[in-house]
Amino acid sequence: MEYVSPEGLRLDGRRPMEMRQIRAEIGAVSNADGSAVFEMGNTKVIAAVYGPREVQNRSQQINDQALVRCEYSMANFSTGDRMRKPKGDRRSTEISLVIRQTMEACILTHLMPRSQIDIFVQVLQADGGTRSACINAATLALADAGIPMRDIVTSCSAGFLNSTPLLDLNYVEDSAGGPDVTVGILTKLDKVTLLQMDSKLPMDIFENVMQLAIEGCKAIANYIREVMLENTKELEYRRGI
Amino acid sequence: MRELRDLQLPLNQTQKIRLRRALQQLQDLASKASSSASVTVADTIPVNHEDGVLKGHGTSELDGEVVATLCGVVERVNKLVYVRALRARYKPETGDIIVGRVTEVAQKRWRLEINFSQDAILMLSSMNLPDGIQRRRTAVDELNMRSIFEESDVICAEVRGFQHDGSLHLQARSQKYGKLERGQLLTVPPYLVKRRKQHFHHVEKFAVDLILGCNGFIWVGEHVEARDNMVEDQDNKSEQQNSKLNTRSLRLEEQESTYTPVETRQSICRIANAVRVLSSLGFSLNVEVIMGTVEQSISLNLDIHEMLGAEFCVQIAEREVERRSSLTKKRR
Amino acid sequence: MLSGFNVILSTISFSIETEEAESLKQQVSFTTTTIPTALLFSGIPFEKACQLRVKGEGGLSAATAGTMVGLSLGEKHFIRGGIAQDLRTDGRKRLTYRPISVETGVIPQANGSARVRMGTTDVIASVKAELGKPDLLQSDKGRVIINVDCSPTAAPIFEGRGGEELSTELSVALQRCLLGSKSGTGAGINRSSLMVVEGKLCWDLYIDGLVVSSDGNLLDALGAAIKAALSNTGIPKVHVATAASADEQPEVDISDEEFLQFDTSGIPVIVTLTKVGRHYIVDATSEEESQMSSAISVSVNRNGHICGLTKRGGAGLDPSVILDMISVSKHVSEQLMNKLDSEISAAEADETES
Repeated sequence: MEYVSPEGLRLDGRRPMEMRQIRAEIGAVSNADGSAVFEMGNTKVIAAVYGPREVQNRSQQINDQALVRCEYSMANFSTGDRMRKPKGDRRSTEISLVIRQTMEACILTHLMPRSQIDIFVQVLQADGGTRSACINAATLALADAGIPMRDIVTSCSAGFLNSTPLLDLNYVEDSAGGPDVTVGILTKLDKVTLLQMDSKLPMDIFENVMQLAIEGCKAIANYIREVMLENTKELEYRRGI
Repeated sequence: MRELRDLQLPLNQTQKIRLRRALQQLQDLASKASSSASVTVADTIPVNHEDGVLKGHGTSELDGEVVATLCGVVERVNKLVYVRALRARYKPETGDIIVGRVTEVAQKRWRLEINFSQDAILMLSSMNLPDGIQRRRTAVDELNMRSIFEESDVICAEVRGFQHDGSLHLQARSQKYGKLERGQLLTVPPYLVKRRKQHFHHVEKFAVDLILGCNGFIWVGEHVEARDNMVEDQDNKSEQQNSKLNTRSLRLEEQESTYTPVETRQSICRIANAVRVLSSLGFSLNVEVIMGTVEQSISLNLDIHEMLGAEFCVQIAEREVERRSSLTKKRR
Repeated sequence: MLSGFNVILSTISFSIETEEAESLKQQVSFTTTTIPTALLFSGIPFEKACQLRVKGEGGLSAATAGTMVGLSLGEKHFIRGGIAQDLRTDGRKRLTYRPISVETGVIPQANGSARVRMGTTDVIASVKAELGKPDLLQSDKGRVIINVDCSPTAAPIFEGRGGEELSTELSVALQRCLLGSKSGTGAGINRSSLMVVEGKLCWDLYIDGLVVSSDGNLLDALGAAIKAALSNTGIPKVHVATAASADEQPEVDISDEEFLQFDTSGIPVIVTLTKVGRHYIVDATSEEESQMSSAISVSVNRNGHICGLTKRGGAGLDPSVILDMISVSKHVSEQLMNKLDSEISAAEADETES
């Protein structure tokens, strides 16, 4: 099947280096300390952060750090064919772990000892790149909750089909069987915190694809920064003197 | 302008336009008043390095530069530079008046939830005993802790400070602190409540107590005279124990006779709704603004429930614009 | 149409006067349509009719445990006083709903979807249609499967398996209110319209609800969201190849362009009445729900017919009280139905504009 037409257009009309349209909204869930909705094309994800608060399970309390917990769940209607089990299956557990490790690396946990931070991510629509959308949404939610972080973490995926590196794969391109590289970076420090890949890829091409994904991450980081800045300004002027 | 944190209210077209205009005017006023530097995570804070700057909360050092770790506003006090976060959990300071809810009755102490990263601790020794005598707390006192405060009780107290192990301790030794009954508790983001000299407000006009906890818990309830525990004799004590809300044993009719009178309840609900509207719009809370909102709703003859509607919300935003512009004019 | 009802209930109430009220702690739950099943009851001997009482369901805890707010005695007393004086903590009267806002088409991948907000309660419902084989016993009807999930974003308690009990209770209650009995009679949703080829091919409607934020009254919000999602649903037109023999699966061509709007005039709304003390309130917040002694959820359709009934809560209710609550809920449902219809049409107008 042809994923890149001879004119250089993908199945949904994008260019190979073009990302899908992103949209972010802060403050979707009023009960939570921080929350955000992040959309990448048709992929839509809600993240809610509860914390830092008292540890619920005393045995898990860490005396000099905050405990970070994360849960990833997909809605029944999020994928094309209905999912039987929204959570508890292996993919969800793995993604929960991935998000937790990524966010734990960037939260300054030593500033909040003996407390607990819960990150809940709910996928409303899945169209490829859910892992990345979840990490981006979690970053926004953590910033909304006022939790100190080392840096902004963003994530993006890239692949290689029809001998072309493609940025931000959607579901159809993802299930084509080609390689799928997901990268998460700390934008200011310029460090990679998450790197995952399926399938096979020659080493020199891998470097190109990874670089492409990193560029995508930086573009998302700019957008996220703008959203956060506008939100902060709005809260400040509303509050008044 | 995107509707960030939308109000969850169905606004029609004209209301949306009016609200947008009011918020735009607020923004103009704010930018004229002070140029507050907003930063996001990992932004560099411009600092004059020769002065030897002190890095405060919300900042960290990276390659010799001062970098923000929070989204907020940069504040500078002499050589101290720090970032004040907006929507964050409560940051306790000694002497703050807070309202909390008891989560646990432990050995010689109560644990209270106060919207902080940990639960705060109120020691039995930091609390006045019911009979008012200053004495050593015995084992009997410890067993009777539940007769003073139980789980889920709402308590007003003052922050005593952090202990060396990092836990937050409170004290409730004065008459004005203690259990709060006969009212409702509201939760707002802590950044909307500024630290002032007075946090206890007795609104005489409505016979209502309004306590603005620095942690964002706001209590609105019937006015209760601060009882002087020292002047108590046996008769008074038994009377008070009878009138206590021991509702488990009271039958329905007896309970009904102890309900709050309707006029007071109306005032309580009006004030509570005023707080709700102001916090949903993100305006900072103090007594003048809250009472002004209540007065406006009374003068417009609004049903208490309509105070949470779209029209009143837009009117409050417009009123706030007028209030702030008149304040800035006064300052000049 | 409640006449058959009244006959039975008066006989039941006769027997109850002789018993202690305490023994009524069991829960009553029965689905009715209009006359047919009422006549069915009248044929049953009295002793058997009393046994209808003993159909237990999950108790009070499931519905409120997920969002249980710890309240002090003073606050509880204040809430009860407010309800008795017809002035609740946010100034509402006993039978007033919170502001309802409806958005349709929030999940473009689904056939129909809607998001309903009642105060801080926020739920999303989506409808997906897939082709499948009908049941052997009901070969002329399609299938409808309702499932509700509580997202942990609503409350940390819903993490892992914490929200399962509440989700199951909500799913079963919705099925009872909207889908009628096992034989397929009396369903709020017209399943015959889902048939494609009798006996061989039908549409399976998967209705999924997701609780994003919870502040009481989840059942009403989910009912409203499902109603809005169904009115937003477009079922693709199917062209069946005519030359198909009896045992083969017919070939079908699912159209991408033409859609049939689902008929939603018969879909009921769900009204939950919570009894606190002596009075009933509508649209309880989670604080008020923690005070309830019992609650009745009634689903009523446009013609004023009751399509389903659930009683929750451990306290016993006098049957006259139940009848009163049913009539109050019928009255409230008219206003709710009108409000929802206007909100849904406004939302669909917004959606076509954007």
